[in-house]
Amino acid sequence: MVYFDLFFSFVKIGFTSFGGMSMIPLILEEMQVHGWMTAEDLTNLVALAEMTPGPLGINCATFAGTQTAGVPGGIAAVAGVLMPAFTLTLLVSVFFTKFRKSEIMVRIMGGVKPICIAMILAVILTLSMENYFTDGRPDVFAVGIGVIMLWLIWKRKWSVPKVIGSSAVLGILMYGVILKLY
Amino acid sequence: MKKENIKKGLMLFAFFFKIGCFTFGGGWSILAQMEQEFVNKKQLITKDELLDLVAVGKSVPGIMITNISMLFGYQVGGWFGGVCAVLGIACPAVLILSVVAYGYDYLKSNYWCHAALEGIQAAVVPIIGSAALSLGKEIFRTRKGQVICGIAFCLCVFTDISNLVLVLTGAAVALLIPSAAEQVK
Repeated sequence: MVYFDLFFSFVKIGFTSFGGMSMIPLILEEMQVHGWMTAEDLTNLVALAEMTPGPLGINCATFAGTQTAGVPGGIAAVAGVLMPAFTLTLLVSVFFTKFRKSEIMVRIMGGVKPICIAMILAVILTLSMENYFTDGRPDVFAVGIGVIMLWLIWKRKWSVPKVIGSSAVLGILMYGVILKLY
Repeated sequence: MKKENIKKGLMLFAFFFKIGCFTFGGGWSILAQMEQEFVNKKQLITKDELLDLVAVGKSVPGIMITNISMLFGYQVGGWFGGVCAVLGIACPAVLILSVVAYGYDYLKSNYWCHAALEGIQAAVVPIIGSAALSLGKEIFRTRKGQVICGIAFCLCVFTDISNLVLVLTGAAVALLIPSAAEQVK
């Protein structure tokens, strides 16, 4: 039955991907092997998954699942992609909590944490290039909104939901209204 | 199961549901929200501990965010807490997407939606950036932290080295060269 297939496909995808975009090629492969989606469908899927709130992996699973077999399909796919979290990560959690204070663990984390920060900074660089520049030239509106939000987060300690909400409003204002007038 | 654990589980579900609703621009913005809620507001975890979870969550296979949710949920409320956190973060996406999938074509071409999204995307960098800088403050304080971070950053940006390899290398280096990984306190 297609629901089981979806479930197992996404279990496979979950266990063999290491976050974010690395999932996409795996999803494409599964979709093509089962004849569920084409590469073009997948591009739309990723675009949609980026537009909507939530982790990319969950969004992709839901969309792929619902496109293939309606809402139950979406649930089957998500259940599959969550399996690593419910199994492997749970085990790791138990292990980690127990050994967290051990000297070996402390040393390992001491090396891994700066790398983690570095990865986040690298992502920020990539996102900045994507969001603040169009065709090589700076996008004035995006930079403006970015600077305003930075100030609001930094100096006014605004919460993330507030920032998202207000940037959406500013977006509508700048990209929607002002652009239309020109 | 004790009442206390059930309550914790429900609290975790509710919080991660809320976080799930506002996670735009990939997984990293969840960090900013977790920091605001759990480090600053509820004080359930320190910044350093959160960074620990992120590091581990990134290194384990699967969706980083769901891993971090499980790790955090487990720490606060055992396996039930972990399960609740993961379900919490996944639910909004499933609900929203199930609806949106049907109206996708309309949304894709809706002018105002597009404008709003452009605005949100512009805010993602400050959101993630502030969380990164905040969590990384301790790291940046030592020369060792700065060096490791700097090298890793260059490797990330200029090479194709996978994240997993980077993390494993870091762990190995830290184990084999004790002075390279002094805990910052």
